[in-house]
Amino acid sequence: MIVALGLVVAACGGGGVSASPSGSGVSSEVPSEQPFESSGTFEPMAYPEEPAECGFEGDADHGPYAGEFSQIRAIDETTVEFELCYPDVSFLQKIAFSSFAILDTASLENDMENHRVLARPNGTGPFMITEWQRGDHITMVRNPNYWGEAPSFETLIFRWSVDSAQRFVELQAGAVDGIDNPGPEDFAAIEGDSAFALFPREGLNTFYVGFNNNPQIEGYDNSTNPFADQAVRQAVAMGIDRQQIVDNFYPPGSEVASHFTPCAITFACVGDPWYEFDAEAAQAMLADAGYPDGFSTTIHLRDVVRGYLPNPTQVATEIQTQLRENLNIEASIDVQESGTYIDNADAGALDGIHLLGWGADYPDMTNFLDYHFGGGASAQFGDKFDDLVEVLQVGATSTEDADREAAYVEANNLIREYVPMVPIAHGGSATAFQADVENAHSSPLSNEQFAGMVPGDRDQLVWMQNAEPIGLYCADESDGESLRACEQINESLYAYEVGGTAAEPALATECTTNEDGTLWTCTLRDDVTFHNGARLDANDVVLSYAVQWDLEHPLHIGRDGSFTYFSALFGGFLNNPPAEE
Amino acid sequence: MTDRIPAVTADVLEPVRVTGRPANIWTDTARVILRQRSAQAGVAILGLLLFLAIFADIVAPFGPTQDLRYGDTPERIARLTPPCVHLLGCATTNPQHLFGVDGNFFDVFSRVVHGTRISLFIGFVTVGFAIVLGTLIGAVAGYAGGWVDNVLMRLMDVVLSFPALILAIAIVTVIGSGIIQAQLAIGIVAIPIYARVMRASVLSIKERDYVTASRALGESSRGILARRILPNALTPLIVQGTLGIGGAVLEVAALSFLGLGAQPPLAEWGSMIGQNRNFIFNAPHLIIFPGIALSLTVLGFNLLGDGMRDALDPRLNR
Amino acid sequence: MLRFILRRLLLSIPVLLGVILLVFVLARVIPSDPCRAALQERATDEICEAFNARYGLDEPLPTQFVQYIGQVLTFDLGSSIRYNRPVSEIIFERLPLTMELTIMALLFASVFGILLGIVSAARRNSPTDVVTMVVANIGVSTPVFVLGLILAWLFAVVLRDTPIALPPSGRLTSGIDIRSIPEVWGITDLQGPLRAILDFVSNMYIFCALITGQWGAFLDALKHMVLPMVALGTIPLAIIARMTRSSLLDVMGLDYIRTARAKGLGQRAVMLRHGLRNALLPVVTIIGLQLGLLLSGAVLTETIFNLAGMGKTITEAIQGRDYLVVQGLTIVIAVVYLVINLAVDVSYGFLDPRIRLR
Repeated sequence: MIVALGLVVAACGGGGVSASPSGSGVSSEVPSEQPFESSGTFEPMAYPEEPAECGFEGDADHGPYAGEFSQIRAIDETTVEFELCYPDVSFLQKIAFSSFAILDTASLENDMENHRVLARPNGTGPFMITEWQRGDHITMVRNPNYWGEAPSFETLIFRWSVDSAQRFVELQAGAVDGIDNPGPEDFAAIEGDSAFALFPREGLNTFYVGFNNNPQIEGYDNSTNPFADQAVRQAVAMGIDRQQIVDNFYPPGSEVASHFTPCAITFACVGDPWYEFDAEAAQAMLADAGYPDGFSTTIHLRDVVRGYLPNPTQVATEIQTQLRENLNIEASIDVQESGTYIDNADAGALDGIHLLGWGADYPDMTNFLDYHFGGGASAQFGDKFDDLVEVLQVGATSTEDADREAAYVEANNLIREYVPMVPIAHGGSATAFQADVENAHSSPLSNEQFAGMVPGDRDQLVWMQNAEPIGLYCADESDGESLRACEQINESLYAYEVGGTAAEPALATECTTNEDGTLWTCTLRDDVTFHNGARLDANDVVLSYAVQWDLEHPLHIGRDGSFTYFSALFGGFLNNPPAEE
Repeated sequence: MTDRIPAVTADVLEPVRVTGRPANIWTDTARVILRQRSAQAGVAILGLLLFLAIFADIVAPFGPTQDLRYGDTPERIARLTPPCVHLLGCATTNPQHLFGVDGNFFDVFSRVVHGTRISLFIGFVTVGFAIVLGTLIGAVAGYAGGWVDNVLMRLMDVVLSFPALILAIAIVTVIGSGIIQAQLAIGIVAIPIYARVMRASVLSIKERDYVTASRALGESSRGILARRILPNALTPLIVQGTLGIGGAVLEVAALSFLGLGAQPPLAEWGSMIGQNRNFIFNAPHLIIFPGIALSLTVLGFNLLGDGMRDALDPRLNR
Repeated sequence: MLRFILRRLLLSIPVLLGVILLVFVLARVIPSDPCRAALQERATDEICEAFNARYGLDEPLPTQFVQYIGQVLTFDLGSSIRYNRPVSEIIFERLPLTMELTIMALLFASVFGILLGIVSAARRNSPTDVVTMVVANIGVSTPVFVLGLILAWLFAVVLRDTPIALPPSGRLTSGIDIRSIPEVWGITDLQGPLRAILDFVSNMYIFCALITGQWGAFLDALKHMVLPMVALGTIPLAIIARMTRSSLLDVMGLDYIRTARAKGLGQRAVMLRHGLRNALLPVVTIIGLQLGLLLSGAVLTETIFNLAGMGKTITEAIQGRDYLVVQGLTIVIAVVYLVINLAVDVSYGFLDPRIRLR
């Protein structure tokens, strides 16, 4: 719902600004009312100099380009234009993402090649990195020149421990002020203790039990695969008591999934809700399908704790028990190493049943449904369902809400009918803080902001999360633990509201779009300085995006060079290598 | 680096070689061993464990993966219920669970009892595997000498150049997690110990009169190895092996603890501890009971091994 | 003696090469790759192919191995794929913690092990002796991970709010900082190897705080080290106690002790003045042998107490398929291991002249 608001705000912009040709006239004549100190001549940058060819099919030098951007250009010191190849209803949601934080041009140029940017990014955020004791903690101090409201305390410390029990004990001992993801079993203890405050986090994620209707395993005989039969899949969908699973293994605040996508996302819960649990009906269906005595199969999983699956092996064991008791299906459990598991899932090499889930990158239907069931989806569930693929295509490209809604009603009903998977739960989680921490909160996108908190009368706030950030140049990071740390020191043009999902202006005072939604114009704040004292201007924005976008950009280096979120959210990189013969 | 492993060498067999009455070697040896107090304690503990392993189905009130909510007499019981022993004052209206209930509605006592079976099996199989391969390598190296010896023993040195657990973790990552794979990994890591014991035995026996005599009589190398040398090297191997079983049980449990060995819901103690480590503060019974069982098993083998070594090694005989 | 050391060093070369080969092969035949391990759900074939090409992981393995050997021989361990930082840097920041933990555990084990051994031997077959040896036997049989978890539960939860409560994780309380040795001594301008050594030592918090007199930090670091130290040191402690006892009893049976006793010296004086010195020889070697065990145990201890040492880093790197980190750290540990073993063997020679070193 909140998300919808954000989208509406975006749509309200209207085509105010016309595209001015790039490079026309040097805009050094900054209007005098702008409180710029004379910063010398400003030469607006356009990237690439000539707009990229949309839908470029590739030639001898380069592979095809199917991305969203055509050109990003500075107009004057505080104005940036994004020229798009196709309209994008979630543009503001995307640019608010922390991978697209704006960094200073000089520090990008100086610190990228020597990897300094990975440890000491020069951002604009309320905190500045002072020390990263690897393996142990990160220390940040308040940014004295912050453009927004400065934090009330001096030092912010990030610590981490993979064990929820250990995080909780540290909280109890008073050694930390706040922890992420207390164990589900500890929720009651935290709530019952007046020294602590619990902040449940709505689950923008889905845990599901997947089936493969045609496993890609050498020598696999699909005629013996019970899950090739839609009726069997439906029977299992009906024969799993999802309420039991959520009640016993998920923390309070979790929900039994009524649809694949969590309902907080617009259009997620249109169409019929999921099957009711009915063991007898399920057994009858299974018998009709030719399995009166059940069958044996395998439950594949990886033992990795995620928001959608707080206790993997226990839930797997529970599902094993339920299959046996409710449906006579004997399942053995196969735990695989995480990377191997994802590999196998993508390759469609997991027969039987597999347990997986998905957490929202940005709150939109496409991020959930297209990834799993769309035309570009992997072989995870076996053969695709053509009508489902088609209707998802409609949902992703329509700009009218009514059209999108109709498409998603149909998509959800098709998923319910075909049962490529059984959505089990939207896993809630929480943060817990010392009771005297004011403005403590949890964020549905897991990007808690500490700047606004007041840690009692202390001058430092210690936060303990699940794992150590891998790097702090978040254009090239994809894990939540790194992103949360980045969000304290770097900022994007927009930001998600504190504790919510709506995108609101941050470094930009506003971004508006033209009528057909292919040109976005962002106006920057004029009072922002980077941690090193440099001023934020439009060229910083262009370069921050360009280094991610262009594979051939000399600064397209990052940590491992994947820039996963850029390609995932904006459709691909520029200057792909030519396809191999 | 020949003296790294406090190996038992062939010398220890001297006092036991009761010549002339081969039929009674084993009973005599047993008598000598059982004179040791530590061996008595070890045998007592292992006897208890063996009993539990054999009669697990009778001793344990439930199956190792029997969900208490289902079955013939379904119970309405909460997850992670702490131990309830009627004799110790737990209300008789509550169902009795000696070691409490775990996160999957399984009876912890039943799982610990069934775990005995698994751990004893792990210990014997792992060490058995290591002894067989180690003996083979050690015998070949010791008997052949020269470059064969050199290459084989340098190979053993390579294996010994890693902390055992780290190498085992690497091996398990390569061949995949699982209880069999974990045993294989721990077995491989243990091979050099037995290879060295065997090689030392072979070297010390090789030049003895009766071996030289057999050789002079035209017996083949293989025959000498199998009939003359191996039987005499057996005692140190068995002593070392008994001491090694405790270690093997521990190391496989450690792999399972790290999630690389036994996979849930198998009732393996290390895996039970590892899976429940986040409950250590609110349901410590999930850790403490399998922990005690694990220690007890290792203790049993260690005591017996110590007893054997003390009994059979004249230098330590007091 | 010198010839012995030289010979052993030469013998170590093929072993070391074998170690490098084994580690390299093990690291590379692990299924999956660093790209999938890092990106998880978000990995796609295109991204991962580009990734592998970028890191030269698409080259044939023998080519990669030859390149790697070449690097290692010039003391370049390469860069972490996951962190994009030199492996040597990672070792530099992780090794001191493991060394500190191991040294503390060994110290704890030796001091208390020898004490218990002496007490036991002095009152042979008394209840004290029996209890001590029973406890020692239980100690040897308790897995590090069981003991560690139970200690954490006992001292951080059960005894919370009492004066003997101890922290269950981390190295320092947040907010307490330890200034490095060069900082305290005001020699931050110093460069080169001496600076590197000082920085390395500064990473051993307890030691650093001790020699620079930062007493608050010293106490805090020590408090954090107690539980890991006890968890890791208990098995060696038990082994050392048993060894001390039996070795002391051995020595006490020897002729010269009988002579000393015949001269009218008291039991205690005989034991401490004459027995102990000789009895400690085998104990010293057994202490050396424990180092290997400790390095294995460190993996578990670091995991349980959330300490970013070598053991935890290697396990994480294996899970993350961070090949060069796995290789680099394991090779360093193997070298440390070889050196320790050499030292132990040499110490045999010093301590017991009857052993001829060939």
